[in-house]
Amino acid sequence: MSLPIHLRSGGLPSWAIRVGATLSVAGLLLWIPTHGSDSLIDTCTTATMLMAAAMSLNLLLGFTGQISLGHSAFFGIGVYTTAIGVTRWGWSPFVTLPVAFAVAFVVGVLVSLPALRIKGVYLALVTLALGLVFPAFVKWPKIEWLTNGSRGLDKTGFKFNKANPTYELFGWNPWGNLRGQNVKPFYFWVGVSIVALVYLVCRGIVKSRMGRSLVAIRDNSTAAAVMGVNLAVTKGIVFGLSAAMCALPGSLSAIRTGTVTPDSALLTVAGSITFLVIMVVGGSGSLWGPVLGAVVYQFIIERTSGWSDPNRIPGAVRPLFSWSDVAPGSGIFALTLILLMFFAPFGIVGLWHKAVATVVTVVPKPAGTASVVHQETAPPES
Amino acid sequence: MALFLQRLVDGLSEGSIYALLALGLVIIYRGTGHLNFAQGEMALFSTYAVYQFGEWGVPIGLAVLMGMAVGFVLGAGTEVVLVRPISRKSPFAVFIVTIGLFQFLNWLDGALWGGQQLPSSAMGSKQGKFPSLFPNNPTDYFNVFGAAIKWQSFWMLVLVLVIGGGLYVMFNYTKLGLAMRAVASNSESSKLVGIRTGTVLMVSWGIAAAVGALGGVVYAGLTTNVNQSLMFSVFIYAAAAATLGGFDSPGGAVVGGLAIGVIQNLVAGYADEWVGQQMKVGVAFLVILAVLLLRPAGLFGTSKVERV
Repeated sequence: MSLPIHLRSGGLPSWAIRVGATLSVAGLLLWIPTHGSDSLIDTCTTATMLMAAAMSLNLLLGFTGQISLGHSAFFGIGVYTTAIGVTRWGWSPFVTLPVAFAVAFVVGVLVSLPALRIKGVYLALVTLALGLVFPAFVKWPKIEWLTNGSRGLDKTGFKFNKANPTYELFGWNPWGNLRGQNVKPFYFWVGVSIVALVYLVCRGIVKSRMGRSLVAIRDNSTAAAVMGVNLAVTKGIVFGLSAAMCALPGSLSAIRTGTVTPDSALLTVAGSITFLVIMVVGGSGSLWGPVLGAVVYQFIIERTSGWSDPNRIPGAVRPLFSWSDVAPGSGIFALTLILLMFFAPFGIVGLWHKAVATVVTVVPKPAGTASVVHQETAPPES
Repeated sequence: MALFLQRLVDGLSEGSIYALLALGLVIIYRGTGHLNFAQGEMALFSTYAVYQFGEWGVPIGLAVLMGMAVGFVLGAGTEVVLVRPISRKSPFAVFIVTIGLFQFLNWLDGALWGGQQLPSSAMGSKQGKFPSLFPNNPTDYFNVFGAAIKWQSFWMLVLVLVIGGGLYVMFNYTKLGLAMRAVASNSESSKLVGIRTGTVLMVSWGIAAAVGALGGVVYAGLTTNVNQSLMFSVFIYAAAAATLGGFDSPGGAVVGGLAIGVIQNLVAGYADEWVGQQMKVGVAFLVILAVLLLRPAGLFGTSKVERV
């Protein structure tokens, strides 16, 4: 048999691969909270937050081509909506998730208004300024009564009963017994649910008529407008949804850590840049790119977090990093990003597609032949 | 009156730093049409280098020149190694690369010089504070109409006017400047008439980074301590200045930088309760937004005609 192997889309082997992939992802998701160590669960929960944030950015930047360096502000809106709701008004943390979604949606739509006139790097500038304004705004003396200024808020998470943990989800305790008294799996499941929700929303948009108009705006907005895409409405919805979906992991972060400060890493511009870098390394304009990017990013950060101590660096790479007493994670990742732009501008997913294409070619189903009896045709030579 | 004059001069001296970084942004934008997001971090790297030269006992004036040389090499190297090969692919990729460079340089500064603030944390440091290029003792001031003007502010303003004037002369009266304008206007044709466009772009990026380095050093001397987030806000002010002045106008960058500094200081001073030091960045945000919405080419820029 010669390479590449031709696979018919919708045929038995392609379905087998799909089912197998889904089952292995599901198995991994079940294995992590039930058998993984506490630190692994923590790492994976953080990764789910980064995934959701990077996916929301991907919808805006990867698919619609609107550069945003202000997603840390939307993330921060989620953080602060939850924190304020829980501490000031005594809401249950889960009630704040949809509220954060709604607040961020409104802010996102407002940001889209100038984006109708401003393009490219100028939009990057405006959104960068937004990302810088958000922490300053939270610390603003005029709204200190709400946000508690630079001191931040604490006790923003769940009130657990240590002896007998009940998770206060409408009096129902669905996940509590997975690991006995441990609450970490619970946050993991919330994170996974958020990622699943964001993924489904992104997929639903991208595979629909709206998704095609987004790509049209990205590739040539003038032509898109001529073809009948309503730029104002489309950009408004995408900005709003992207902002709203970015607020969800923010809410989770406030619930999970229980304290909120305006200068924590993901709320400042550094957070925006992290989201962007994760998205591009994973693969911009692909649904699974941000997921892979977040996993790789979190893996590198975790693996190298102890490297500030030279003795903990594995022997083979010790001479490379022992000169510094700062963990090299973000530097390695930034260098990876720069190198990827040279040989794989579409990130890890792009590399994967390239690699797979040398082994397997998926032959798409011919259009409009659903009811026709299968006719074995020679695969196109290309 | 004295208070107004005081705030005006403070604004001008802060604005001169923004003007220096904005000049760098404009030079690069004119040359290659890219917005260099790593401009602030390149300046920060050179600033750390100046600090290091100071630790080695180099006098501050010479150290600044060496720091500018470091900046020049960094900028020129970035153009040759990263920007040139990647800009053949897409301008978006260049944007991503400058973002990556931003993160990389920021990490590198921390890795080389420690993540904490300099120089107070550097044990056994010879320098009690970041060396200032200009006299900045509390007694170094002179009075004008009752306002105490620091010599530092005065010299910073002189510095930016000299640099701005020097760049103006270079752009308009030297062969290199002519070549740079030619490349900015039409890179293909300038190649045909024998201009080495590669060298010209390399030199543009180098000059931009060197001017930015000067801005970084002066700013670090003003705040007397240096940390990794020193340039985040300065970059956005510089970008606001370049937007206000017009992204393709060096004179506009100087005027824009000084204007942003003055606006900020006046607003923060007179509306202390509402703006204060915290929300100064909000002023920059509003300026960028207003300029881009009302006059996208800026005050002195030339507007682009879009072809469909």
